[in-house]
Amino acid sequence: MTRDWWKHLLLILGVIIVLVPFYMMVSYSFKSPGEIDRGEGGFFGRQELMVDERCVKLRDPSRNDIAAAVPQFPGLSDSAIRDALVDEAMAECSMRPVVFNYTKAFTEAPLLRYLMNGVIVTASIFLIQVVVALPAAYALAKLKFWGRDAVFALVLFCLLIPVHAIALPLYIMLAKLGLTNTYAALVVPWTISVFGIFLMRQFFMTVPDDLIDAARMDGMGEFTIVWRVMLPTAIPALLAFAIFSVVAHWNDYFWPRMVVTGNRDLFTPPLGLREFKGDGDGSFFGPMMATATVIVTPLIVAFLLAQKRFIEGITLNGMK
Amino acid sequence: MAGLSVENVTKRFGETEVLKGVSLVIADGEFVSLVGPSGCGKSTLLRIIAGLEEQSSGDIQIGGQSVAGQRAADRNLSMVFQSYALYPHLSVGENISVPLKMRRMNGLQQLPLVGGFMPGARNVASDIGSVVNQAAGMLEIGHLLDRKPGQLSGGQRQRVALGRALVRDPAAFLLDEPLSNLDAKLRVQTRAEIAQLHRRLDATFIYVTHDQVEAMTMSDRIAVMMGGRILQCAAPEIAYEDPDRIEVAEFIGSPKINILPLEISSEGRLSFHDQPLDLAIAGGSRGVASLGLRPETLWLSGGEAPIRGRVAHSENLGSEMFVQVDVPGLEERVTLRAMPELRASLTLGTPVALDFDTDKALVFDADGARMRKVRRLSAAASEVA
Repeated sequence: MTRDWWKHLLLILGVIIVLVPFYMMVSYSFKSPGEIDRGEGGFFGRQELMVDERCVKLRDPSRNDIAAAVPQFPGLSDSAIRDALVDEAMAECSMRPVVFNYTKAFTEAPLLRYLMNGVIVTASIFLIQVVVALPAAYALAKLKFWGRDAVFALVLFCLLIPVHAIALPLYIMLAKLGLTNTYAALVVPWTISVFGIFLMRQFFMTVPDDLIDAARMDGMGEFTIVWRVMLPTAIPALLAFAIFSVVAHWNDYFWPRMVVTGNRDLFTPPLGLREFKGDGDGSFFGPMMATATVIVTPLIVAFLLAQKRFIEGITLNGMK
Repeated sequence: MAGLSVENVTKRFGETEVLKGVSLVIADGEFVSLVGPSGCGKSTLLRIIAGLEEQSSGDIQIGGQSVAGQRAADRNLSMVFQSYALYPHLSVGENISVPLKMRRMNGLQQLPLVGGFMPGARNVASDIGSVVNQAAGMLEIGHLLDRKPGQLSGGQRQRVALGRALVRDPAAFLLDEPLSNLDAKLRVQTRAEIAQLHRRLDATFIYVTHDQVEAMTMSDRIAVMMGGRILQCAAPEIAYEDPDRIEVAEFIGSPKINILPLEISSEGRLSFHDQPLDLAIAGGSRGVASLGLRPETLWLSGGEAPIRGRVAHSENLGSEMFVQVDVPGLEERVTLRAMPELRASLTLGTPVALDFDTDKALVFDADGARMRKVRRLSAAASEVA
């Protein structure tokens, strides 16, 4: 046993604490309501056929249905026909729990629409954040102007303001502008990211001044330098920032919940989870967890793909 | 191509005055080196000429036109940086073509991806390609055009930086210590190549270096800078043989010039350690001065000689030998150039007497200014006779 075993033990404990909720989420998304309630069935559940009570209820045969079905069941009484029809409905409404949960996730609410909203909102936020943060960070890192240090101090100060503290004034402003229940309400408040400005400024500090001077000698203006010299060298840092930004806004529940009140077409994926909020019977954990799994999957896939660049960006090793 | 003039330029960074009124006129096609110890303001002067820094006062003219207030991009100057400053995300070919693209293509044609489809873009791009190939060929980096700067050696990066500077036809080339990141051997080779490039392009070069050997070997004129001033601007041989000030004499030449303390008698006669020398100052008055003697103007004397000491150290370079002599009463050793054949007779501790060529002796006053009215007494005596 090496001397570092306790470090690994600690790390393993940390990993377990982080992973257990994910494990529960994925596991619940596979199980039937009964298994979830009783806490049995291991990771995958037994995957026994289950009957969707709501589906059966919806197909409860009416008097007209029974009358229409008389030719199919000659010589049977009305109640026998009714029983046969219910059996038929039960057979059609029974399925494996995993299929049930994921179908519900996509059919109960327009999850695809929510996912698309999520993509539109997070992508717009990130793009505008970059458009604002790169020139600002370049000016703060590389240009000399009166009051630069004061401006940078303000940026640092803004990092200290929690979102929740200014949520209400922001909401009121948006409401007065008539922007609640629009994409703009979801995007605009986040377009200036002081964290992004700070992160990119720290990265730009490591870019040699000579490179910028060379670009000026080659005939570039300051904005051209930002987009054609600084941006390409800052890709690792930008990826790191992208992960912070996209994760934060994809997973954000608080802000969309505030500004999108009526219009379900504007729901972002986390708002979609509300659709399965227990309405009395409280039996929708399976579909809810299936929705949650669908929502986090794109992030996990993106992180795995960008993992190497992401770590490069975090360590901010610039041009060395 | 154009000449360039710097008129009484000063530069302050807060309280510190980095340039204290520098004037310099550089002719079209001339190779001028700005040389001096670090912190003398030479790089600042170059950056002011380039337009990367703004002077506190004074004027810069390029081709007779003042460039006051003009951006670096509009001054039509090319610059090579000490760190090469290549764009890390672009290939060698793209790096070299940047200055041309920025000047010859319009905004639409410069767009990534779609730029190539804009009207006229293809012609401009092929023109630029041929210029880049020509420059790469001249610098023998044609085979590297597709590589990224990160994959190149220091010498290759240096050539790419040169290539990027020379693709367009600038009014002047500015080089800021371009050789200081190269190893000694490559530095000597590149030094010769830059000098050849200058002859071939017949362009104006301004070359900043702290290495006086580079300045001496490449330039038409060298401007020796110290403490924010140009002390002397002259051809290398003049700066070496006929310096205006003691600082110039000490900075130029390797090994360093020997400086000996002198006393001036009331008649103007010079003496070293109470031994009268064969030198006098016309119209001199009693005081102290310094005598500058290059190592090659000293020789070993058999008999009486003004400088006497013992051999303290010697360096044999093969073709010549530098002997350091400990002279009693002097803090610094006197360096003498000798033939390597003499090494047997110059072992450590050997007492030696040194005489010198009075014609080549340089006399400086107490402030370090050159005293030119020096005459040999014996010559005057013989003339009288």
